[in-house]
Amino acid sequence: MVMQSIITQLLNGFSVVAILVIAALGLAIIFGVAGVINMAHGELIMVGAYTAAVVGKAGGNTFIAMPVAFIVVGLLGLAIERGIIQWIYDRPLETLLATWGVGIILQTVIKLIFGPELYYVGAPKILRGGFHLIGRLPFPWYRLFLIVVAACLMALVFVVIFKTNLGLKVRAVRRNRAISGCLGIDTARVDMLIFCFGSGLAGVAGAVLAPIKSVSTTMGFPYAVDSYMVLVLGGVGNLWGVVAGSGLIGEAETILSFIFNNVIGRLLVFLFIVVIIRIVPRGIFGYSERQ
Amino acid sequence: MAALLEVKGLTTKASGFTILNNLDFSVDENEIRVLLGPNGAGKTTLICMITGQYKPSAGTIRFAGQDITGWAPDDIFLAGIGRKFQVPNIYETLSVYENVMVCLRSRREVFATLFHRLSGEDKDRIWEILTLIELADKAQYPANALAHGERQWLELGMLVASNPKLLLLDEPTTGMTEDDKHKSVELIRKIGQAHTVLLVEHDMHIVRQIARTVTVLHQGQKLAEGPLGEVMENSMVREVYLGKGKGH
Amino acid sequence: MQQIRTDAHIRQVSRTVRNIRHTPMIPLWAIIGGTAIVALIGAYPYYGTDAYVLSLLGKFLCYAIFALSIDLIWGFTGILSLGQAVYFGIGAYVIALSLKMNYTLTHATRYGHKIPDFMEWNGLTEVPHFMTPLMNKPFAVVCALAVPTLLAFLFGAITFKRHIYGVYCAVITLAEALILQDFIIEYQAYTGGFNGITDYSNYSGKWFLWFILAVTVAFFIIARVLTHSRVGTVLKSVRDNELRAEFMGYNVANYRIFVFCVSAFMAATAGAMYAAWVGLVSFLDTGPVYSIEAVIWTAVGGRGTVVGPFVGAFLVKGAEFFLSGTLAEWWQIIVGGLFIAVVLIMPDGIVGSLAKWARHRRRAISREVLEDSEPNVEACQLDWDAGATPKVQEKTR
Repeated sequence: MVMQSIITQLLNGFSVVAILVIAALGLAIIFGVAGVINMAHGELIMVGAYTAAVVGKAGGNTFIAMPVAFIVVGLLGLAIERGIIQWIYDRPLETLLATWGVGIILQTVIKLIFGPELYYVGAPKILRGGFHLIGRLPFPWYRLFLIVVAACLMALVFVVIFKTNLGLKVRAVRRNRAISGCLGIDTARVDMLIFCFGSGLAGVAGAVLAPIKSVSTTMGFPYAVDSYMVLVLGGVGNLWGVVAGSGLIGEAETILSFIFNNVIGRLLVFLFIVVIIRIVPRGIFGYSERQ
Repeated sequence: MAALLEVKGLTTKASGFTILNNLDFSVDENEIRVLLGPNGAGKTTLICMITGQYKPSAGTIRFAGQDITGWAPDDIFLAGIGRKFQVPNIYETLSVYENVMVCLRSRREVFATLFHRLSGEDKDRIWEILTLIELADKAQYPANALAHGERQWLELGMLVASNPKLLLLDEPTTGMTEDDKHKSVELIRKIGQAHTVLLVEHDMHIVRQIARTVTVLHQGQKLAEGPLGEVMENSMVREVYLGKGKGH
Repeated sequence: MQQIRTDAHIRQVSRTVRNIRHTPMIPLWAIIGGTAIVALIGAYPYYGTDAYVLSLLGKFLCYAIFALSIDLIWGFTGILSLGQAVYFGIGAYVIALSLKMNYTLTHATRYGHKIPDFMEWNGLTEVPHFMTPLMNKPFAVVCALAVPTLLAFLFGAITFKRHIYGVYCAVITLAEALILQDFIIEYQAYTGGFNGITDYSNYSGKWFLWFILAVTVAFFIIARVLTHSRVGTVLKSVRDNELRAEFMGYNVANYRIFVFCVSAFMAATAGAMYAAWVGLVSFLDTGPVYSIEAVIWTAVGGRGTVVGPFVGAFLVKGAEFFLSGTLAEWWQIIVGGLFIAVVLIMPDGIVGSLAKWARHRRRAISREVLEDSEPNVEACQLDWDAGATPKVQEKTR
């Protein structure tokens, strides 16, 4: 019996890990590559979730909502980058303030449009219900779907960063912005595309997460904080860091929450993160400078 | 007489490369020593080791009779080693005056600093240094308003203010115009009258004007050491260093 | 090396010497302006009748101290903390709990218990033992100030010693605030949860306003002296160039910890006074949103200046109280726009921009003087004799 509940928690942990990966990927791109401390990340996820709600109203389902949210939120990200971020790339801590402002505005505008009530988005028909793992342990299909989505998004980001021309430029810019500029890479364009891509991913995250959470204007912020913790723990600028950070935080939080309660679980995870980065200040997979 | 700085068997490895290899090296009190060597010879690494920025893989560094291997940078400074960086490393938004003031020799603990007041002597010392580096008229300017050469001199002045026993100058004339370099040489000479100086320099014109004894590093090892003229005649030195189009 | 020492140059040097010698710790305009503002606020009970405005004044003063505490670490030392409300909140909750428990001794709840109502709702029948010492008010005050300071010390000792700051520090402090908030909501039997702590006898008279005012003045003077003394210069040098400071023998981490503790102490004091004055604390007072809001007050007023936080807190909070009633939802958009505008248009804030403008003017004047004056011909002559080309232009560049 004990064994069974441990396995259940581990499996539940996997879906939490998947959620963290999905939520953090967009931020990993924006923060890790473009160096923007995007405090509006949670709000971008929120806009993605609202997009899913609208798509749902119009008769679509999550599969349709994902690309739509990617485009909608990607374009929103583009507007934010062109309007605000492009002027302040060299002042990272101030991007934090500006994007916080963007977040407040997004929240308010969405609230003005959709009203203060919560929206519920249903999972697609074929993902409803669940199946039984080992004996009588129920496991919802949607959780499995989340894990698949997380894996696919990781793969997508890997392909974009390591197999495309844009990805090559992105890596070059990340390593040395000034030299890349001198070598004819349009760094401003790369930054713009990266911000756009990262925002799009946040939108997808929102669309995917909408069915497991009631959609509200304030739903995004905890995701943003969690994503930052994932990046801080895993290491900024390394995609494996996202996996490692999500894995550790997700499993630890699920298990600790099961043993104690949610809040104590979160507190312990927080202390755990602080201890880890005290040992490795740049995160587990952090980019280490010449020592 | 015991050497002021004594490096024994210093070895540094970083990501598989051996940067310094079993290096023995010493500097006596009150000398101006110039450190030469082609790119990648380990000059800057040596400076980083001495000042505690990086930790050596093996070997010891003794300074003024103390073993300072593995100390933290601020403790090494307190032991009496001051360092000038390659690029000007000054406090950009502080005024020139404050830049020098912060560096004055005093106790560095938080609470000692909290109740510290500048004495008249301290103030005179600041003005003396500002006059030495010829920035007295710009004492109230924020440091980021200075020209490149002036910034380098300001950093030298800051070091002098801290009155170290040993000054490590890592290419202090990088990126200067000829006039500025000339002025720097004068300044370094003046500083050298009262301090022990270890200078890393590429520019042979400057080396000639300043150096009495030089040490040549190559691939992390000491290749030659002695009076400038002698070292210049050394065939190995000519081959690895001067032979590579650097022959002045 | 030949230096042309023009008369103007020498004059410039002596003027600079004079300026630096005679810069007072607190300039005259600040003393006059400060006294005027203190008189204006302090005398309100005599010329004003609106109790609401009176309560706002006390609140704003607490906000100003809170903003100042952020300015100390962010503006002067370069540590951006997004969880400063943790210290404010702990201070506020300790005082509120103490006052509430004392209040219930004489005002029994509906069911006749002499315990805070939120404890009763959650099934407690008596005050838990670990909370009873807080009934003693002086002890509560000590706790309200010491606990946050100690917490800040621990936090600093853990993170700053390992060179963790910048974004990392911002993110960790943000999470810290979020977790404290969760904690307060979860353990509502002890903290009042969502409803916060309310209904206790608070101090709302003019005497307490004067007390808050006195503390505010004291803190602003302390901040001014601290930032313009040698420690302040060291802190700024750490902000500007940490590596250089370290190689100048300063233990950078210790300075950061020190200023972080001072800042936490100020925030806690602000929180404690806030709870005593307003008579209501909620979990929002410890949360990340409130922390970041206070960062923006500091940014609007001008970080790195002592007056800035005061100006920022009064302006932004003042605008909120006047506008949020009539504009409701739109106020949030204005706040959001304010964040963006400050970053894009006025990164130095109001006071910072003014100070910069004044400095530029002063320098422009002194440069004019320098350029107008004739070079000293005799000095040029000397250099000709020495065989060098005189560069008269060089010094006046």
